[in-house]
Amino acid sequence: MWLAMFRPLFKSKKFLVSILVFIFIVLLGLVGPIVYPVDPTGYAGPFERPPSREFPLGTDTYGGDLLAKVLNGTRTSLYIGFLTAVISMSIGIIIGPISAIKGGIVDEVLMSFTNIVLTIPNILLAILIATYLKVRSAEVIALLLGVLGWPWFARAVRSQLLSLINREYVKLSRMAGYSDLRLAFEDLIPGIATYAFMSFILFINGGILGEAGLSLIGLGPTKGVSLGLVLQWAVLMEAVRRGIWWWFVPPGVIIVALTSSLLMITTAMDEVFNPRLREK
Amino acid sequence: MKGYALRPFLKYVSRKFIFLLVTYFIAITIVFILPRAIPGNPLSTLLRQIFQQGQANPELIRSVHKTLMEEFGLGKPWYEQYIDFITRAFKGDLGTSISSYPKKTLDLIAPVMPWTLILLIPSIITAWIIGNTLGAIAGFKRGSFTDKFTLNFSLIVSQIPYYWLGMLLIFTLSVKLHIFPGQGGYSQGTIPAFTLKFILDMLYHYILPFLSIVISALGGWAIGTRVLVIYELDADYVNFGELLGLKEKTVFSYIFRNSILPQVTGLALSLGGALGGALITEIIFNYPGTGYLLFRALSTLDYPLIQGIFIILIGSVYLANFLVDFVYALIDPRIRLGQSEGS
Amino acid sequence: MGNLVLQVENARAYYIVENNYVRAIDDVSISIREGEVVGIVGESGSGKTTLSNVMLVNIKKPLSLIDGKVKLYLNGSIIELNKLPREELQRNIWGKETSIIPQSAMNALMPTKRIKDSILDVMKTHFDEIHENEIIDKAQTRFEEIGVSKDAIFRYPFELSGGMRQRAVIAVATLLNPRFLIADEPTSALDVSTQKMVLKTIQNLREKGIVKSIAFITHDIATVRQIAETLVVMYAGKIVEISSIEEIIREPLHPYTKGLLFSVVTPEPEVKERGIYHIPGTPPNLMYPPPGCRFHPRCEYKLDICEREEPQLKVVNNRKVACFLY
Repeated sequence: MWLAMFRPLFKSKKFLVSILVFIFIVLLGLVGPIVYPVDPTGYAGPFERPPSREFPLGTDTYGGDLLAKVLNGTRTSLYIGFLTAVISMSIGIIIGPISAIKGGIVDEVLMSFTNIVLTIPNILLAILIATYLKVRSAEVIALLLGVLGWPWFARAVRSQLLSLINREYVKLSRMAGYSDLRLAFEDLIPGIATYAFMSFILFINGGILGEAGLSLIGLGPTKGVSLGLVLQWAVLMEAVRRGIWWWFVPPGVIIVALTSSLLMITTAMDEVFNPRLREK
Repeated sequence: MKGYALRPFLKYVSRKFIFLLVTYFIAITIVFILPRAIPGNPLSTLLRQIFQQGQANPELIRSVHKTLMEEFGLGKPWYEQYIDFITRAFKGDLGTSISSYPKKTLDLIAPVMPWTLILLIPSIITAWIIGNTLGAIAGFKRGSFTDKFTLNFSLIVSQIPYYWLGMLLIFTLSVKLHIFPGQGGYSQGTIPAFTLKFILDMLYHYILPFLSIVISALGGWAIGTRVLVIYELDADYVNFGELLGLKEKTVFSYIFRNSILPQVTGLALSLGGALGGALITEIIFNYPGTGYLLFRALSTLDYPLIQGIFIILIGSVYLANFLVDFVYALIDPRIRLGQSEGS
Repeated sequence: MGNLVLQVENARAYYIVENNYVRAIDDVSISIREGEVVGIVGESGSGKTTLSNVMLVNIKKPLSLIDGKVKLYLNGSIIELNKLPREELQRNIWGKETSIIPQSAMNALMPTKRIKDSILDVMKTHFDEIHENEIIDKAQTRFEEIGVSKDAIFRYPFELSGGMRQRAVIAVATLLNPRFLIADEPTSALDVSTQKMVLKTIQNLREKGIVKSIAFITHDIATVRQIAETLVVMYAGKIVEISSIEEIIREPLHPYTKGLLFSVVTPEPEVKERGIYHIPGTPPNLMYPPPGCRFHPRCEYKLDICEREEPQLKVVNNRKVACFLY
């Protein structure tokens, strides 16, 4: 059944291209550091060399190998993105359904809370919290971004569930005396599965872009390499104004290719699964 | 506006106002709690550091320490600290900077704030207008070449972070082609003044950061409006209007109007994120705004200044949020007059 | 019988979906005469809404008019609507000579404009020069005729109650006294009392001569009986029976009409005594309609010929039916 459901996706050119780009970048991050086992934090070579056979992406001010940095950075950024998505998703998938199924005062309290978190400018808050953290591992960054990112998803899940709950088959389950939990798992979750999947992808994007933003302002992970950290050092060392393009272009290209391929995957899915957006 | 029609409008606006006020209060509370709740107490670490540097200028260090103790109220019970904090925040007393002692943080923020506003407001409004128009045209001509091009272009552009686009623009248009200056808000050595020469110089420096925000922000609006317009294309009023002979132009204007309305509230919600992006853009461009000040405060761990900046920034976001919602309530008759029934 | 108002001749209108044809309307002819209310009934998917688009020549992708003519009889001259470009239809035909009360009249008016401004927009497409006051005066008269307060045109649609909104839509649709009006399930979403009111309003339109003739599209024979004289029964993109409505209720000829009549939710008294019946099976996929008579897979009177040949509409006792039983 799942296979038949997803088959039309593979007819979409947009979906195929973007999933290939995405897989390519994931491989870069996962396999790249193994195939190209250079220490990303080492000082291996001469300073600020443009790409050459020896250093395919050149070196930075401290003689660090930028290809190694970008490969390992891609891995960290993917990890942070994924972790952020898991965290945001878990919160949203708990709050949204509880709010929708319980209704009444529970709904009201949860939704006010959600709206408050939604209206607090979360990038600013992330910056503020990160300021006070001396040690910021990749996990801490993901936690920070994940905890602030869920409200729109919880709201959307709630409203989708509300429209589902009012449908006939769900009413029947209720009359049949199924518990709320069983109702959530058997009738409701499948109804929002594709939406949740697409949101997961968008959360990954939020995590990747959020990490880059925090890093650029000087509040990225305190150890390791990430795409954001590579960019931050490029900015600190004035790489842009000194024309060292091989330092700041590759990490940006990877971020944009990664996030836009993911976004394209979601829109391709939307076009396939959402009849109103489908071209007739 | 007749008297009876005013009530739903006031109700809507005052509800928004109270909500934002409460949220702002919560935000300030978070600002208060954070430095005190985080393990390792960053404030006491900072105090210790100040003492360790004591030999340099013991007199100054001692007075910095005294101010810090007073303003953060360390040593007092937490509720007294809190009440103190809130009352001073509402009075506009945001504490004293450490790195630029004895300047008040408000005096440091006040001169840089206009730069951020001048950068942010025109650019997000421009992006909103261009993005929504592009998206509406694409949605209206769904499936056409224009649509596909606009959609794919917007999808990619929307994923380019402001700051990275800024770097690319600096590299190409400034470093390589020497068309625009690549940093600062005005030429070095000039003094800000209300002269034509200075304003032109400012605009010249303004173009690149402005473009980097406009270009990367418009994609998101285009994508959103395109979907809204596609949904609207099937609306009953569109079909009916067409069969009464309405011109395509008129139908488009109907659809545009109804799709753009939800995007006005979208604008309110996006302000926080846009501000965050703009702060980083300022850092990239060495633009003399709040982002640059924040960056300096962060690198010197000037906590009072950091706190002050956040209280002001979050407050401005809420104020702008409220203004946008106010405008929305004015232009959407369903809110202005109160929707009685139906959808 | 009155003069012809609108005539559809041998129309084929297909939806083009992924290089396939969905044969929504297949060789359909229908004539509508002055003073007549024609009911068009069928299940959902029978092509009745497509037929309404064909009658108005609202042919938009993916719908395509493969074959056939749509003629409008206007002051002695005949206009072939299917040959007019869309701009011409917009300017001179739609809203002026033909009009429609849409399926969901509740949301049919532009929600964020005052009704008067929507009206002015319509007028601007039909006339180069308009006089706002004159139009508002005329519109207010029409609103009152139809039973809506004349102040309603200064309101937004959401400020009116459901029934008022429905009538306002009817008033806007008939401002220019169109010769031909389609009512596309105008009552299906309404409660019984509002239904009655709307039916009455539509009836008044014809009695007062605001419109010349009406095509009333519905899935419910009970509703259409209150207003129409002639009934057209559609099945799977084809007309299976045309006759006066009373005769059809007394003695339906086509097996499908029988099924449709016996399966009505609120049976007519004459029907009730014959017991409740429902048509077995489901309507065919119009991308691959069955050969021969499209109803034969569900028909309990099926003959061998029904699987091979398509029945044509033929006259039986002054009535028309497309079935090999007759």
